[in-house]
Amino acid sequence: MHPRIVVCVGCGGVGKTTIAAALGVEAARRGRRALVLTIDPARRLADALGLRSLGNEPQPIPRHVLARLGVPGDGGLAAMMLDMKRTFDDLVARFAESPEVRDRILSNAIYQHASDALAGSVEYSAMEKVYELYEGRNFDLIVVDTPPAQHALDFLEAPQRLLEFLDSRLVQMLIHPAFAAGRFGLRLFQRSTHRILQIVERVSGFGFLEDISEFLLAFEGMAGGFRERAHRVRSLLVGPEAAFVRVAGTGAESQRQAVDFLDRLEAFDVPLSGVLINRVRRWPEGGAPPESLTGGELRESDIAALATALGASEAPDFPAEAAARAAVAAATGYAALVQRDLRSTLALRTRARDRGRYWGQVPEFAGDIHDLAGLAHIADAIFHEGEPSLGEHAGP
Amino acid sequence: MAAEPLGSLLERRLVIVTGKGGTGKTTVAAALAVAAARAGRRVLVAETGRDEQLPRLLAPGSPPVGYAGREILPGVTAMRIDPFNALGEYLGLQLGVRSVVDFVLRNRGFRQLMSAAPGWRDLITLGKIWHVEQMTNGDGGPLYHLIIVDAPATGHGVTFLDVPHVVVSAVRTGPLRRNAERVEQMVVDTKRTLLLPVALAEELPTRETAELVERLRADVGITIDRAVVNGVFPAPFPEALSDLDERLAKLPDDAPRGELPRPSTLAACARYLRARFELNRSYVAEIGRLTGLPVVCLPYLTTGIQGPAEIAVLADALVEPPRAVTA
Repeated sequence: MHPRIVVCVGCGGVGKTTIAAALGVEAARRGRRALVLTIDPARRLADALGLRSLGNEPQPIPRHVLARLGVPGDGGLAAMMLDMKRTFDDLVARFAESPEVRDRILSNAIYQHASDALAGSVEYSAMEKVYELYEGRNFDLIVVDTPPAQHALDFLEAPQRLLEFLDSRLVQMLIHPAFAAGRFGLRLFQRSTHRILQIVERVSGFGFLEDISEFLLAFEGMAGGFRERAHRVRSLLVGPEAAFVRVAGTGAESQRQAVDFLDRLEAFDVPLSGVLINRVRRWPEGGAPPESLTGGELRESDIAALATALGASEAPDFPAEAAARAAVAAATGYAALVQRDLRSTLALRTRARDRGRYWGQVPEFAGDIHDLAGLAHIADAIFHEGEPSLGEHAGP
Repeated sequence: MAAEPLGSLLERRLVIVTGKGGTGKTTVAAALAVAAARAGRRVLVAETGRDEQLPRLLAPGSPPVGYAGREILPGVTAMRIDPFNALGEYLGLQLGVRSVVDFVLRNRGFRQLMSAAPGWRDLITLGKIWHVEQMTNGDGGPLYHLIIVDAPATGHGVTFLDVPHVVVSAVRTGPLRRNAERVEQMVVDTKRTLLLPVALAEELPTRETAELVERLRADVGITIDRAVVNGVFPAPFPEALSDLDERLAKLPDDAPRGELPRPSTLAACARYLRARFELNRSYVAEIGRLTGLPVVCLPYLTTGIQGPAEIAVLADALVEPPRAVTA
């Protein structure tokens, strides 16, 4: 079956947003109504999709623009950027028990500065939004561009960790009115927990914990309504309607982390996924560059022959030999880059194949990709150049 | 912008290397450490990521340096600032009693609290840097002349450097506020501290760098006097032959050339290198224009960044006088 949600994961700088947008373009071309959701605070997707601003609502790409890309009438493409602050404020407003509580939280100094920095909160509100959009059923496919993560499945794990954190005794003690009493030694709580709070208060400064507890109250309220929902979102993301795609660059570090990701997938019931290697330099004739360029001897007679060919239609003072040497140097230089990418991606390609995951690669284009036509080129490279396609090959 | 000539990268006490993920911050931090050590400075280079990269770059095969740090090259000490280690050290200094510190740090609830709590990692990391900056050697001189920090990737904007100010404005009184004030003073002290943004000469990294510099100027007030652009492709052909790829493309594919690839392949190779060069050149200019900063270009290395050999090449390029880019 076709996935309804595709989650793109990977570390920063590998082109995750671009790949996510290209997947959205491809889905639209196949007649599906697609939405690309980005969480990165930089306005990358807005740039790539040529939108001036992305609000907290899906922004449809105009029909005439899509028609130029060959998107059929039943296909559609929209993009949105998650506005962290607004999503949070909305959540607080929805779950706060009274307008007074809502206002107190929204005006809390720590809330104002740090609500999007609480570990896991970005992922938490992203999930909230994904689920809302999924339930809305306005889209056949939602492509999620996750925040950069060094470690494999932060996107899935972080909300769970946040909920566990809110359940912890220390936090419960901070959140609930008992905290105030706790300072005077309420016996309901373990003495050690109480003592920890006393020490924290001493180190941090008086009044700090009160602000913290008020801040946490915001999340507590949300957690109440969200807990069941977070559970459902997780089931959705590890179920048959979702696919995870790891986007990797060709650099050694990015490759190492992607291999690591495939290894760790087994530990989760993630509906796999596969790997897309972005910006791979490929030899123009396919395969590996010829050995004569990658270590073999270059023959002077070949260079002379090329110089003759280059000089044939030029003025007599054309530096044909220098041109031939420069051309050969360029070919040798590019061959080295192709060779390097072939080598650096070998372990990942092999691993993906061994595990029955699909993998694909996107060639590096000469210029930047910053418009829909460029995204369509990327989609072509992923789906129409003989590589396995997303969806049909998702899952072992 | 000040008209006075740009000073050396090595004359401050603290250089914070920052940039988006994937721009090569750690590589630049390592290269700067090597350049400073060559100039006779005692250097501390501190990384803040979860995985240690510096030993691989500076002294391959050497064991991890950890929080304690280790001199991995003559004059270059490397360390990884782990926030929990720094927190332990801080609590030790504040509370004085080791057993109390251990009691707090071992508490599961406390660890859970700190795993999720915002901001403290950045603050404690900066606090540790401040602490090291204050250290002296036996002669009363600074323990390290230069401290280089490989800052966390700027995924969430400028949070790393923003935190002391946030704490100062959010916390009314107490030790936390006092420490944050000291750290903030260090960050904005133009004599002591410099921020070195690292960019790539491509469209999105260019805009992100411009955004980052603008926000740092507005929100943090840290000194920024140049930008580093990493991975810049050099000119692929002699100047007189700048359209070589087009000339190659005009040759028939059966032109005699022995064992060399056919002309269309040669043209494709040449086109790629020319396109990268021209793209990089225009974005280097764009970075200069958008930020108003002089730009230091580091060359793209065909070999990739394998270890000390490449770092040495970049160290040379890094301390060359930056060029002001005219739009």
